[in-house]
Amino acid sequence: MRKELIVATSLTVTIIVLAYVITLGSGLGPLFNGIRPLAEVYLRTTLNPSQPSFTAMSPEGVTAIVWDYRGLDTLFETAVFYLAIIGAIAIYRGVSEKVRLNGAGVGLSMIVKVVTKVLIPINIAIATSIALHGHLTPGGGFQAGAAMAVIPMILIIAFSRYLLLDLKISKEVALAFRSIGLAGIALTAFVPILIGLLSGVNAYIMQNQLKADASFSLPAYLGDALVSGSLILYNISEYLAVTFGFSMIFLLLSIEEDIVKEQMRGDGVEH
Amino acid sequence: MMRLVKAIPLIILTYAIYLTFSGSISTYDIVLGLVVAIISGYLTAELIVKDVGKALSIRRFLWLIIYGIYYLTIAEFKAHYDVIKRIIHPKMPINPGIVRAPYNVVSDFSVVTIACSITNTPGTVVVHLDEGKKNYYVHWIDVKAPDPKTTYENIVRDFEKYVKNIFD
Repeated sequence: MRKELIVATSLTVTIIVLAYVITLGSGLGPLFNGIRPLAEVYLRTTLNPSQPSFTAMSPEGVTAIVWDYRGLDTLFETAVFYLAIIGAIAIYRGVSEKVRLNGAGVGLSMIVKVVTKVLIPINIAIATSIALHGHLTPGGGFQAGAAMAVIPMILIIAFSRYLLLDLKISKEVALAFRSIGLAGIALTAFVPILIGLLSGVNAYIMQNQLKADASFSLPAYLGDALVSGSLILYNISEYLAVTFGFSMIFLLLSIEEDIVKEQMRGDGVEH
Repeated sequence: MMRLVKAIPLIILTYAIYLTFSGSISTYDIVLGLVVAIISGYLTAELIVKDVGKALSIRRFLWLIIYGIYYLTIAEFKAHYDVIKRIIHPKMPINPGIVRAPYNVVSDFSVVTIACSITNTPGTVVVHLDEGKKNYYVHWIDVKAPDPKTTYENIVRDFEKYVKNIFD
């Protein structure tokens, strides 16, 4: 009892002192409420047709920065993420995901199963909407993919990982779709250069709108819909790649540990 | 082809949610939303829809709306009123316990809808489901009597009357 009292008292005192220092004691210094000069550059150019060589033609400043202003950074970030997934696949090499232990669980109660099933189309609608509006509203390919990857996760927990295999979502299928997504990102990055080479104009890798010495632009509008050139293509490709990258990891991580260890041991003996 | 027919109710659901969530009816969203809805419906049809005639029946849909109105007004009000009364009563007259409440509906969706309805009204929570013996195990704030007849009449019957017409 005395121990709990001491912990509670010291926690309370710490929180009160911290709150005082941060707010009334001005421990953080004066707060800056204006727009910083760097932010102003992005805010003034992100959707500004009168500045054709600086704009990304997207009202969503964050996506414009992530895939256009610092696009190369995101490209390598994506590469790091997929290398991590490739690492996971390499660790699981040769492990068959289809081997079942006897008496495999049948999942949670019917209430959870039915609710989970009904949530799937709803989840698909929302995740895809996030991806397709990544250049217009907050969110984007990665966020949409993470939202979509909830589906294999809840299916594995509420039903069984073998339901995914029955639905033909195996490691190989996920790998194929993930590769399509990655290929989409790579294509989008190289398309400006290809078109530049074919038409003889100057162009850059990952170029979206025209630049001072490169007159090539990806289309900002499709009909009357703003698609922001390369941004929508990156978002859709990233959405595919992240969805199936995560799905694959969930599939691998949900294999019974006994099965993995058994097969890996067998693998080691041969070498 | 059969699968695409089965997908129709899901396509409608997905399309409606896509447009609502996107908050726009521009050509871009109307076209892409339909594509997304068709793909999503086709992929999930086998998992979710068993009887497409039932899913598209207008009579059942009207019962769903009637049940929604009944549930959100009368059922919720009665349950809230009862629990609030117990909370502010100086003696706090509760007699909690877990009871067995039988149900008579057949389809999965009916069983789950009733279970969720019971749980969502204050005072009762479904803690376990016995599909074989067709029983809910319900934590009840005021156990009037533990016999199946009392529990069925007090907890399940009112919901079952409506849900039977929607999903069974």
